[in-house]
Amino acid sequence: MSAPRIFVRSTGAVSAAGTGVEGLLQALADPAWQPQLGIERPDAPPLPVAACREFSPGDVLPPLVARRLDRPARLLAVAAREAIRQLGDPLPWARERVGVCAGTWNAGTSALLEVLRAVFLTSPEEAPPAQFPSTVANAPASQLGILEKLGGPNLTFAEKQVGGLRAVAEAGRLLARGRADATLACGVDEADWLNAEGYDRLGTLRTSAHPGMVLAEGAAVLVLACEPGPAPLAVLAGWGSASGPAAPHRYPDDPAPLVAACRQALERSGLAPGEVGLVVSLANGIPVLADLERHALSALFGTYRPAAVGTAERLGEGAVAGALRALVATHAVGVGASLAWEPPASLTAAGFPPATAPVRAALIPGLAGGGSAVALVLTAP
Amino acid sequence: MREAWITGIGLLTALGPDRETTWRRLLAGETGIRPLTLFDTSGYRTHLAAQVDDAAFRLPPLPCQPDRHTSRASRFALAAAAEALADAGLPVSAEARNWALVLGGGTAGLFEAESFVARRLRGGPRVRGLGELVEVPQDSPSDRVARCFGLTGPRITVTTACSSSTIAVGIAAELVCDGDVPVALTGGSDALCRLTYAGFNSLRAVDPDRAKPFDRRRKGLSLGEGAAVLVVEEAEHARRRGARPYARVLGYGVTNDAFHMTQPEPSGVAWERTVRAALADAGVAASDVAYINGHGTATEQNDPAECAAYLRVFGERLASVPVSSVKGALGHCLCAAGGIEAAVTALAIARVTLPPTAGFAEADPACPVDAIPGTGRPGTPHVALSSSFAFGGNSGVLVLGSCA
Repeated sequence: MSAPRIFVRSTGAVSAAGTGVEGLLQALADPAWQPQLGIERPDAPPLPVAACREFSPGDVLPPLVARRLDRPARLLAVAAREAIRQLGDPLPWARERVGVCAGTWNAGTSALLEVLRAVFLTSPEEAPPAQFPSTVANAPASQLGILEKLGGPNLTFAEKQVGGLRAVAEAGRLLARGRADATLACGVDEADWLNAEGYDRLGTLRTSAHPGMVLAEGAAVLVLACEPGPAPLAVLAGWGSASGPAAPHRYPDDPAPLVAACRQALERSGLAPGEVGLVVSLANGIPVLADLERHALSALFGTYRPAAVGTAERLGEGAVAGALRALVATHAVGVGASLAWEPPASLTAAGFPPATAPVRAALIPGLAGGGSAVALVLTAP
Repeated sequence: MREAWITGIGLLTALGPDRETTWRRLLAGETGIRPLTLFDTSGYRTHLAAQVDDAAFRLPPLPCQPDRHTSRASRFALAAAAEALADAGLPVSAEARNWALVLGGGTAGLFEAESFVARRLRGGPRVRGLGELVEVPQDSPSDRVARCFGLTGPRITVTTACSSSTIAVGIAAELVCDGDVPVALTGGSDALCRLTYAGFNSLRAVDPDRAKPFDRRRKGLSLGEGAAVLVVEEAEHARRRGARPYARVLGYGVTNDAFHMTQPEPSGVAWERTVRAALADAGVAASDVAYINGHGTATEQNDPAECAAYLRVFGERLASVPVSSVKGALGHCLCAAGGIEAAVTALAIARVTLPPTAGFAEADPACPVDAIPGTGRPGTPHVALSSSFAFGGNSGVLVLGSCA
């Protein structure tokens, strides 16, 4: 039995560039666009997080619905509504057969801090029962399932930077195995000071004194389905996954897992490296990660140089960042969206050109602290 | 067609620091639920939990040296993984091998991070370094285990609350059956912490006494902690090296009830879908099932909804299908629970003995199941289910069978 083709049918996004995919692509295409950074924290200066400052669920979610959702669930619900709206009403599939696969780095942390604030500053007995269910990382995906009455598998993957890519890959697996007829593959992260402070203490956040990453807030949704379904935007042609040894807060020393994940994704998609037209880079501003990617891509492509773009240096890093990169790739291979902004400096230096022409196949590599690597290949339908 | 065999089991629970101690005491009907000493519970409304006995728990010899920031949850996972590898007859080494690791992600290093959060919220002095925040990400135990044992294949951390490690086992078996890897380590690890203890208490979901699953007197769950790691191996790979399997992963089902964040759909119709999806995936009939390791949290709402689902699937035959819950003995180990219960189910199949429901004494008409009171009993479950139903309606059911 041959594997079914898996299509990206629609997309939705909420990011530091605002609500909606169109606004996101416009912002990225504007070289002058930069998000306003900053998240407040107790008794200390703000930290660089690309938060969704203008986000309001009011235009999309009824107030009574929005009120019962915490912020990451709202972000995801609004992004999902954008994607679902494009699929027609009723949906082409029974909702009982529609799943959700989400990746997150930190969803639930703000709720967690609220519960712990009560525990430590008032009394454990004052822990807010309404907040506690939102402390689980799967709350946004579960709330989405409840809101949209989606009864298929509802999975969340917590894998730091590669959570969003993992969600897309596992959504593909669910469909290939027939466990669902359609799946909303998502990434979602919230702006919270605990996560940001952790990386600040590690010295990996961007400051005026040294390069580094900014953290992302937002949600991205790709609706995946085999046939039948509305006209596809792209094909999820392949995915790969491997890992290398590293402490949870460190990248591995060796690009081997990233190379292995990319090779698996290409093999599964039936493409040779020379057929890749675009790399949507994982560069997030951390020099050691940029070096790992540059070495991995050189090992993968030899002297060949596909076009490259990056998004995480501006939109921020997180599980949502991977899903946003997959979303950008979808629109590049599917509708020829212009991605003609400069590639990350590390790839420019290695000879990877900007994406100035339409492409048919895109590679989206990902590598998390701790050493887990995931790669996707998206192609034109 | 490839088969996924369980060839090694590592267990660490409140009943014991290893598989055999846990199994022996579980069959004896003992409970590990006792006064919680991990942190001060004087401000909480309940004071019991199934805490791992720190006096009995020692990390076994490992091919890595855990550092001072290695969390309690990661230490549990490392110990269970080492025991599982040794049990399977596989090298307990850091030698690189293209095997998968699929774990349920729980609180990870939250217990340790809570000290940092308390200091920060109280305006305490700021200190440098990552310190107690190293293992805040939920996949930290996965990172520790993979690094320690040289696992270079896919590393997946599923976090669907209480069904996390059930689904992890299902995904691991799928990776093996799809030919992605010959071996996968899977299961989960979770540690008690103030957040979950306060949170479940705030929901009034914790029994001030010990949990009594399926019992008329039940008043809620008891929280627990621990870890299970199962070696899931492609059958031919296992045969070639003469491994002795406990059981085979026949399939799994995963659905969402799309009903409520904390309350189960009461008629059981949603969980019925999960069970039927699992049976269909496994290619077995409901009439083949001879034992169910239930979710059995002992909350007022969960147990009747769960039994209603089984009644929908098995009808009158349910009376002859024993359904037991280990949560009266091991507590609800949250994201590790499904892995622990899958391990117990595999042991039940291999050793033709069914574990009891500790704490169960008085039947509840709303839970019309044979809950195996008292001690374990002989049974031959050639096909058995291990069920988990979680916050957010995320349900997972594993179908395990004998390899004979």
